[in-house]
Amino acid sequence: MSSRIEILNDGGYRSDGRRQYELRSIDIDMSPQGTADGCAVVSHGLTQVQVCVFGPREARKRAETLHDRAVLNVEVGVLPFSAGERRRRGRADRRILELAASIKSTFEPVIQTSLYPRSQIDIFVSVLAQDGGLLQACINATSVALASAGIALGDLVCAVSGGVHGTFPLLDLSALEEGDLPNVTVAITPRSGKVTLVTLETRLHVDRFGEVFARACEAGRVIHTEMRRAVRARTSKLVDAMGAGTKGTGEEDVERDVLMSEINDF
Amino acid sequence: MPRPPSPSIPEKEFLYGSLKQSLRLDGRNPLEMRTPTLTFGPDLGWVECAMGKTRVIAQVEGKMVKPPPERPLEGLITIHSELSPMASSEYESIRPSEEEVTITRMLDKVLRRSDVVDKESLCVLSGQRVWHLRLTIHCLADAGNMLDCACLAGVVALKHFRRPEVEVVGEEHDPSERAPLPLSMHHTPFCFTFAYFPDPTILPVLDPSHLEQRLSAGLMSVALNAQRELCVVQKAGGMPLDQQEVLRIVDVAVGKAKELDKLVETRLKEDWAGRTVEVR
Amino acid sequence: MVLDDEDFAEGTQKLTCPGEPITSSHAFMRGHGTYVDNEEVIASVAGTIERVNKLISVRAIRARYSPEVGDLVVGRITEVQPRRWKVDANSRQDAVLMLSSVNLPGGVQRRKLESDELQMRTFFEEGDLLVAEVQAFFADGVMSLHTRSLRYGKLRNGQLITVPPALIRRLKSHFITLPCGVDLILGLNGYIWVSKHLKQNEQEGEDAFDAEAVYSNRNDDIDDATRAAISRVSNIIRILGAHFVPLTDTLLLDAYEWAVEQEGGVKDLLNSDIGDALVSAVAARS
Repeated sequence: MSSRIEILNDGGYRSDGRRQYELRSIDIDMSPQGTADGCAVVSHGLTQVQVCVFGPREARKRAETLHDRAVLNVEVGVLPFSAGERRRRGRADRRILELAASIKSTFEPVIQTSLYPRSQIDIFVSVLAQDGGLLQACINATSVALASAGIALGDLVCAVSGGVHGTFPLLDLSALEEGDLPNVTVAITPRSGKVTLVTLETRLHVDRFGEVFARACEAGRVIHTEMRRAVRARTSKLVDAMGAGTKGTGEEDVERDVLMSEINDF
Repeated sequence: MPRPPSPSIPEKEFLYGSLKQSLRLDGRNPLEMRTPTLTFGPDLGWVECAMGKTRVIAQVEGKMVKPPPERPLEGLITIHSELSPMASSEYESIRPSEEEVTITRMLDKVLRRSDVVDKESLCVLSGQRVWHLRLTIHCLADAGNMLDCACLAGVVALKHFRRPEVEVVGEEHDPSERAPLPLSMHHTPFCFTFAYFPDPTILPVLDPSHLEQRLSAGLMSVALNAQRELCVVQKAGGMPLDQQEVLRIVDVAVGKAKELDKLVETRLKEDWAGRTVEVR
Repeated sequence: MVLDDEDFAEGTQKLTCPGEPITSSHAFMRGHGTYVDNEEVIASVAGTIERVNKLISVRAIRARYSPEVGDLVVGRITEVQPRRWKVDANSRQDAVLMLSSVNLPGGVQRRKLESDELQMRTFFEEGDLLVAEVQAFFADGVMSLHTRSLRYGKLRNGQLITVPPALIRRLKSHFITLPCGVDLILGLNGYIWVSKHLKQNEQEGEDAFDAEAVYSNRNDDIDDATRAAISRVSNIIRILGAHFVPLTDTLLLDAYEWAVEQEGGVKDLLNSDIGDALVSAVAARS
């Protein structure tokens, strides 16, 4: 069907000019929106997701509260104009429900819910634009939004998608590549290096899987440094605004340079 | 809406305690699955699959339809899964629960999106007539690991099904005198679900029972065929695992898929041998 | 980032974000906003690291209000329950205001009767705003409020502004009267009540506790000049909140003077360039 498109050309470039392991540019915006406690808009290339976090707050339904921890409520909305073809998806669409369930169970063990007994944390995800890597964008945006809401997290969860073209693993697939390649999404907690989420769709040989899986785990750490930088920049901006002198902004710049060269090495 | 009562504390502690010593309440090894029992019905494409007390019926029926204009050369497959409160009091008939969404999505991924059936072979007359296969999965009882059981039932039903051979005579098509044909299938995926527990020293168990599933800290499902091709890997959140652990589980599943493939093939052969297909 | 003793020099603030190791758990104890894993103290929220002797904690830069006994809060009644009201106070859970912790008509030392229980809605009903003090905590962490002071109780004659709770510092008094005839109540939970100034003798009528006035739902007459002043103060607070500037009485006074000097209309304050100018002007003054 779309075999006319060359996924990886002889020079080792992908259709959008990226290298095999090159990620798309990441943009993390944590400016507050409305009355949300925490907010983040995360873009991976042309995929853009906005997450608003409310809470921990009094639970809407008292029957559903838990006496020893907070309950998580995740709702995902995909805007009709987010994909190339205008399409309105109902809330009960199974794909959306699955996406919400994945986000919920990814963050349930990461959020220290036992600190907030009987309360509720609401996570509202709106998909503004889709160009592949929807799940990774949703997870990354939720991580950052939770951090900006001051909710206690064990770690920031970082997700990356990957695929295999022939025998070559690729990272951070665009929609074009996603349609053609077997793809995986991996989410890791960078500090422990453990994997919280793995999904694979479409057929892939076991040996190939191991390779792309390992690459995706490495790439998760690169995403983590970006997320960490964004969270720290936001924190330091707020601390500055509160009139306290801060050290450590210079330190931050040095850190960034090192990381950029790491990314180029890929 | 009353929630189903969670397992009691002594039950929980007993289960964790015995799992720590690599013992399971039903006497299995951690990586041993319940041997599935396949019962074939009088019709082709009707299978009942039982794993312990978990029981699922899968049925395939085919009819001729006009294909959608965007895919004139491909047949259609639809999967209907029904998790009624009959299977377990945890399922409600009104709203799809999270488990139900997971099961239906997984069935869709394993049986439809991984290209099990060659859709082009279902085409009778381009743009005019294609076969529409309707796979209905009835979950009769849930005693743990409904997903694997449903996937197995679904894939065996597809393998068991025979579609009538038709001949196109002008505008008409009629069932010909020849014997019905098996579906042309690309591969046979099997799904394996592993449960892991909050205590990291407890090894993951394959094919969790109902209690194990309720007390687990997360599930990881791997669907693959005997040719070592992964179709679906699904670990949506839950307890974080080491990278090596994930790969180890995949390896275990590779071995199990080969065993299960053999079992399914022998059962299908046995059934086929004892069956006389009438040719009118 | 692993810290030693020297890293906590005076006047520096270390930032951290979730999942970052701070120090070894052998030398230090973990406080709020941290957890221990693998003999390391690890931050769980984004914010500044604070150390008191051997106790390490991380103060989240933006989070819900976490109450302490004695805090002054402004809240909104969300529910009337048997012998208690539920109050939204921007915290993790709704606060509780017991019928026994409010002043009722007919004297402070009066016993609560069954008839009081039946007419709880005449004192506070859903949607009423009130100012109260955190009295105690229940076992599950819910805060219990009380209004047993003549300064606490139902709020009238003004409007509510919400800012992040971190911006309200603990002050000598959270009841501020600005010279422009505006009263401010800075709730530590980030809810701020801006209202018309009440004269001292009107507010506290000796022992003659005026139930009518305390639980009244009617606003007094407010003249146009006061209305403009209330709006101006509200807009200033909104701007400062949006720029994440901590609020103090002197700062608000400076800001109000600056706003009056500009001779703009009240609503012009909400233009982003005027807002930026206000914040930099105020920062320069202090």
